[in-house]
Amino acid sequence: MIKKDLSIDFLGVHFENPFCLSSSPVGNCYEMCKNAYDAGWGGIVYKTLSPDHFVIDEVSPRFSQLTKEDTPFVAFKNMEQLAEHPMAQDLADMRRLKKEYPDKVLIASIMGETPQDWTDLAKLVTEAGADMIELNFSCPQMTSHTMGSDVGTNPELCKTNCEAVKKGTNLPVLAKMTPNITTMIPVVKACLEGGADGVSSINTVKSITDIDLDNKVALPSINGKSAVSGLSGKAVKPIALRFLQQIRSAAGLEQLPVSGIGGIETWEDAAEFILLGASTLQVTTAIMQYGYRIIDDLTNGLMHYMDEQGVDHLKDLVGIANKNILPTNQLDRDYKVYPKIDWDKCIGCGRCFISCQDGAHQAMDWDDDKRLPTFDKSKCVGCQLCALVCPVGAIKLGLVEMKPGRKGDPAKVDASTFQLPNAEN
Amino acid sequence: MTSKYETEPKGYTMTTVMQEAARCLLCEDAPCSKACPAHTNPAKFIRSVRFRNVKGAAETIRENNALGAICARVCPTERYCESACTRAKIDGPIDIGGIQRYVTDMERKENMQILHAGKENGMNVAIIGSGPAGLQAAATLRQKGYGVDIYEKNAKAGGYLTYGIPEYRLPEAIVDYEVQRIVNLGANIKYNVAVGKDITMDDLKAKYDAVIVAIGASAAKTIPMFEHNICTESAISFLARAKENKGKLDDLPDNVLVIGGGDVAMDVVTTLKKLGVTHVTDMVYEEFSEFKASKKELEGAQKEGVTIVDGYVPTDVRQNKVTFKHRKIDSEMTITADKIILAIGQKVDADGLDIDIQHNEIPFRKARFHTKDPKVFATGDIVDGDKTVVYAVQKGKEVAEEIDCVLGGQDND
Repeated sequence: MIKKDLSIDFLGVHFENPFCLSSSPVGNCYEMCKNAYDAGWGGIVYKTLSPDHFVIDEVSPRFSQLTKEDTPFVAFKNMEQLAEHPMAQDLADMRRLKKEYPDKVLIASIMGETPQDWTDLAKLVTEAGADMIELNFSCPQMTSHTMGSDVGTNPELCKTNCEAVKKGTNLPVLAKMTPNITTMIPVVKACLEGGADGVSSINTVKSITDIDLDNKVALPSINGKSAVSGLSGKAVKPIALRFLQQIRSAAGLEQLPVSGIGGIETWEDAAEFILLGASTLQVTTAIMQYGYRIIDDLTNGLMHYMDEQGVDHLKDLVGIANKNILPTNQLDRDYKVYPKIDWDKCIGCGRCFISCQDGAHQAMDWDDDKRLPTFDKSKCVGCQLCALVCPVGAIKLGLVEMKPGRKGDPAKVDASTFQLPNAEN
Repeated sequence: MTSKYETEPKGYTMTTVMQEAARCLLCEDAPCSKACPAHTNPAKFIRSVRFRNVKGAAETIRENNALGAICARVCPTERYCESACTRAKIDGPIDIGGIQRYVTDMERKENMQILHAGKENGMNVAIIGSGPAGLQAAATLRQKGYGVDIYEKNAKAGGYLTYGIPEYRLPEAIVDYEVQRIVNLGANIKYNVAVGKDITMDDLKAKYDAVIVAIGASAAKTIPMFEHNICTESAISFLARAKENKGKLDDLPDNVLVIGGGDVAMDVVTTLKKLGVTHVTDMVYEEFSEFKASKKELEGAQKEGVTIVDGYVPTDVRQNKVTFKHRKIDSEMTITADKIILAIGQKVDADGLDIDIQHNEIPFRKARFHTKDPKVFATGDIVDGDKTVVYAVQKGKEVAEEIDCVLGGQDND
């Protein structure tokens, strides 16, 4: 079995691998965290601690899911709030975990209501042995406007809270961002000014997943009513990657330490976050669906990727894709790429024809007798929708041509992609 | 406890049917739809399932096929829609029959009433026989506003569906339900009335605007050497007894010899095995490469442990001892069995109906479905074409259209 060094240093803390449980239902007590460490997770963000005076009173049921065809958990909505145990118990659990697993990383997530709360909580978790503190500025299902994602959209409040935390600890501090905002940059900068050392991004996206059509209530139904709450899982990955890229491309933030979160389920997802600038990664939804054991394929898959890329240190991959994401007005618009149909592979289903007719530019037509698509280059705009819908990967990128009046060497255009045909075979 | 004989294989759930529907490529001008003899549109109903419109899927099936739940179970899909499925070029065809069963099961659970009787047009049609062709003709005619009386010589409707197809493949409750839908449309079934005996053809002709003969091929064929052999029973007699008694037969021996290699023979041997007969030997005229039974039925029989020997013809029978010779190679074998079942086909029994039957069919006429009498029409297995339920359904629809054409009903277009 392949062996590669997945370790990475993040905010001065050494992680044996970048994979952590995010602060959530999956790391809610000593036993759960122990099991996760034993399974191979590099770190844990222990479920958010809040002051004892803030009473956690959860609803039931508290989850719902978005599905597609027969695939459950395409996205996942949860209404769970913070750790519900007495704080003393959580602190005792953390102490025990750090003692028994000194080489694993323990991150304490905290959420206060007042600056004093933040200072006090920081002190308590520092004393309990945490390696790092994450500030929950972003939980979208809090019942108070002074807590959760409403805080995370307010740079002033974030800065104040970071300052308060720093009064209580010398540990590295991560501020956890909410995506329920147009741009994170002012909030990130405010957090850094307040003393945060890096950020975690993203928390869940405010959402309604589905409505019970008979009872006209969003799900989950809590005695006939529901509420907007946080969406996670694969469907939010594109949103998470976008924020990650946006943060890491902002002036002055190019080297910002980021813990990436949002729909990580496979090693490929993980690699994408790393390439866009995340040094560590946090996972919840995939664990809720499949359990801690997914760590095996996250780590092993990532090792194989490192091997394929000829990389010995994970840090060498961090952020190396950021430079290839440009503002749309800076993209090369001088050429187009026509589809190339592999007629030996084509099975004559006509999906390319249907999509081109109804969703593109009518460059594909249909030969009824032969049951095969026909292609009219003069109508093709090179959008490649046909390649995306082909169920057998029979359509690939073909001829590259400069647009009329544009200069350039088509042979030098790099239009390659490993992702395009989704049914490569 | 339900016996093996009565146990229908499990159908899809919402999750598993969606898995299967998601495999469908949703082709342009889908070949599966073109390949359905009854012109059901699988491409459309699978697409409906894929987009979670199961009720719409039921409409697509039912509006075309009054026996959709039955066809979902007994249609030899491998020969029709599934044989054309584009997905087969990737791995295997979509389980179209299975999806159709899910949809029609849902239709039943939801008690959907999709078909409606047309406005009465004052004309009446008599149908002789309540098999699939007769039932479908009744449904189509009722939708066009014709009064329909079905004359059934047996105590139950359904013909071969009720008396021939084993319970594990087609539960009687499903047939009853489909029949009830057609009765709900206003078709009137007169049971235990044999036309030609209890009522004459002339009476029908006088009373109705048209008469449809949909009698199927209900009599068993035999081989002269087996006539009067006391150990021999016909397949249709055996299957009917098994179905009527829900598989509780008290005359089942340990060792049964079956002769024949069609779907009916497969039903017989599989039924015997499901009923606990230890030794079931099936001697078949055809070799496996030319087998008549559908692959699914053949595999089902083999899975049950039936011994199937291909390429042999019976040459001699003495009591319960039958000697066979191979058709092509020099080989002979003699099998002694406690019981012999002949599954070598059926023939038409049209006694007293005054219709011209030649080679088990009415002679082909240019205006299809017409008999020598302008008022009398024929449909189902006595009309040329495949002798399957799905073809019977299609012929039932077509004869109704033809009558509507001739009588000029309101819906005549």
